[in-house]
Amino acid sequence: MKILLIEDEHALNESMVDYLRQEGYVCESAEDYKTASLKAADFSYACVIVDLTLPGGSGLDIVRLLKENSPETGIIIISAKNALDDKISGLEIGADDYLTKPFHLSELNARLKSVIRRRNFNGQKVVRVGLLEIFPDSAEASIEGRKLTLTKKEFDLLLYLLSNRNRVVTKDSIAEHLWGDHIEALDSLDFVYTHIKNLRRKLIDAGSEDYIQTVYGLGYKFSC
Amino acid sequence: MRVLTKTSLYYLMVSLVVFLVGSISFYKIMQVEIYDEVDDQLFTDKENIIAFIRQHNRLPNVTSGISEAIIVREANEENLVIEDLADTLIYSSYDEEYIPFRRLTFTARQNGKPYEYTILKSLIDFQDLFESTMLAMGWIFLLLLLGLVAVNYVINKYTWRHFYNTLSKIKRYSPSQHEPLKLKNSSTKEFQELKEVLEAMMQKINNDYLNLKEFTENASHEIQTPLAIVNSKLELFMQSENLTPHQARMLEETYASVSRLARLNKSLILLTRIENREFREQEPVPFQELLEEQLEQFQEMVLMQDLTLLPSQLEPVYVYMNRGLAEVLLSNLLINSIRHNYKGGTIQVILAKDELCIKNTGEELQGPPEELFRRFMSSKGASGSLGVGLALVKKICDVYRMKASYDYADGMHSVCIRLSAERYK
Repeated sequence: MKILLIEDEHALNESMVDYLRQEGYVCESAEDYKTASLKAADFSYACVIVDLTLPGGSGLDIVRLLKENSPETGIIIISAKNALDDKISGLEIGADDYLTKPFHLSELNARLKSVIRRRNFNGQKVVRVGLLEIFPDSAEASIEGRKLTLTKKEFDLLLYLLSNRNRVVTKDSIAEHLWGDHIEALDSLDFVYTHIKNLRRKLIDAGSEDYIQTVYGLGYKFSC
Repeated sequence: MRVLTKTSLYYLMVSLVVFLVGSISFYKIMQVEIYDEVDDQLFTDKENIIAFIRQHNRLPNVTSGISEAIIVREANEENLVIEDLADTLIYSSYDEEYIPFRRLTFTARQNGKPYEYTILKSLIDFQDLFESTMLAMGWIFLLLLLGLVAVNYVINKYTWRHFYNTLSKIKRYSPSQHEPLKLKNSSTKEFQELKEVLEAMMQKINNDYLNLKEFTENASHEIQTPLAIVNSKLELFMQSENLTPHQARMLEETYASVSRLARLNKSLILLTRIENREFREQEPVPFQELLEEQLEQFQEMVLMQDLTLLPSQLEPVYVYMNRGLAEVLLSNLLINSIRHNYKGGTIQVILAKDELCIKNTGEELQGPPEELFRRFMSSKGASGSLGVGLALVKKICDVYRMKASYDYADGMHSVCIRLSAERYK
């Protein structure tokens, strides 16, 4: 699957490319407006990740260009400006998602997968990992056909971990993924711990292997 | 006191003093003049009488009138009055009152025999004249005064109109309106100067405001990007297979700090943006619905802390404000009530027509309550708190002219927001 990454900050661009390549995507990157618009026009991508402030132009123009030429491409906007107007105009002209810098790579990855999943109506609507079957649309999960009773948060957590399979996912990024901005004022890490514990128990009780590992103090890893 | 009222009052006061001093001096001058005149007449009479005696060698016929009387009597050689000028009062049986007279007593000799002459001149005519003159003067003064004050008022009103115009414009001015302040030219030098100074000042304020805004935006952008880089590199680093536990711990701590920095930066930027009044879209926000939504979102956290949510009393209230800020306001209040609570405590939310109160159990506040709404005033017990939550609440309240207050009684903290008058039913 081909992804185009448009980000003028070289180091950040590199990180994203690194992370996404390990996920098995074919990544191309562009660091200025001209290269980006050329690539966006010439090739077709499953998803384009675009920064709004670029040398030589605005990322919004690239979004418009993509919408016109290849409407099937998924678009995720990343921006350091958390100005509401940018977010709204970005989503209005057809971007699928919007991320504010700084973001977690695992979050970007999860959003990317979600966008691709939503775009790919003909593709798999079920995510299968080992014995696990996950239906993102109906927010259900089952093990060998036995339905799991998960709360919404637990399901989101499972999906998030799955999206970043075999990766260390930090507690911070989990907390932010599950509770958004609210988390900054609460003892989020305890919450994450509790949720992970519950999810793990439910999976094991349903007869699954213990997929979720704790990685030092860093975070958790869904290994399969 | 308005400047017009004030100047008018001063005018009145000064006029009154001038009037008083003027009347008194006028009275004195008139009096002196009248006495002078009467005395002249008396002395003329005296000269005439003496001349008559010298010419005819007999006493003149003594005549008496209403306004004048001449009394002659033989004088005693022992106490002769050479010349004596005095005021006297003589009772008039007709008017049944004392009438003021001017009296000249002198002695004239006829054939070596002394005769005492007393010439009396009534002052009543002069008194009357004097009184009516004073009255007329009084009226003139009064009319002059009224005219002066009225004219002064009108002229002042006219000349000060630019001042009042300027004042009302400045009152409504806010740099976030992005409209330059336009003041009217005035032909009055001072007001023209005021206008120029104000315009220059506003220009400077505007520039500072724009600079600050630009700085905020730049800061947000310039800090967020390096943060994003650090964050992403750390995350990549974490994926390394062969980290030692020691390295992992250092990595985790670094990562946690970077995350904290990122959140802090975000909150501060939000604070500044609220301060700059950048959230200008407004709508009637249904507080009740919003609260219910948020309470549901926080349900989980409430349960995890073993807190009990007492039945909320929520009335349908609409507040005219920015929806995003309303969410920030409510979520910060709720988070605050969860965070500064103890296990097994309670939270109660009360939304009335003009007030929102969130009450929760908790340890008593250390330090003055006024400090509570300031930045970075997080309590020691609550780790990880940035201490910006209530500062955000306060800032949002300020923007919408709502009043946030704090109270502690019977182990309950209560933070109340008095909702502004600009509401929609």
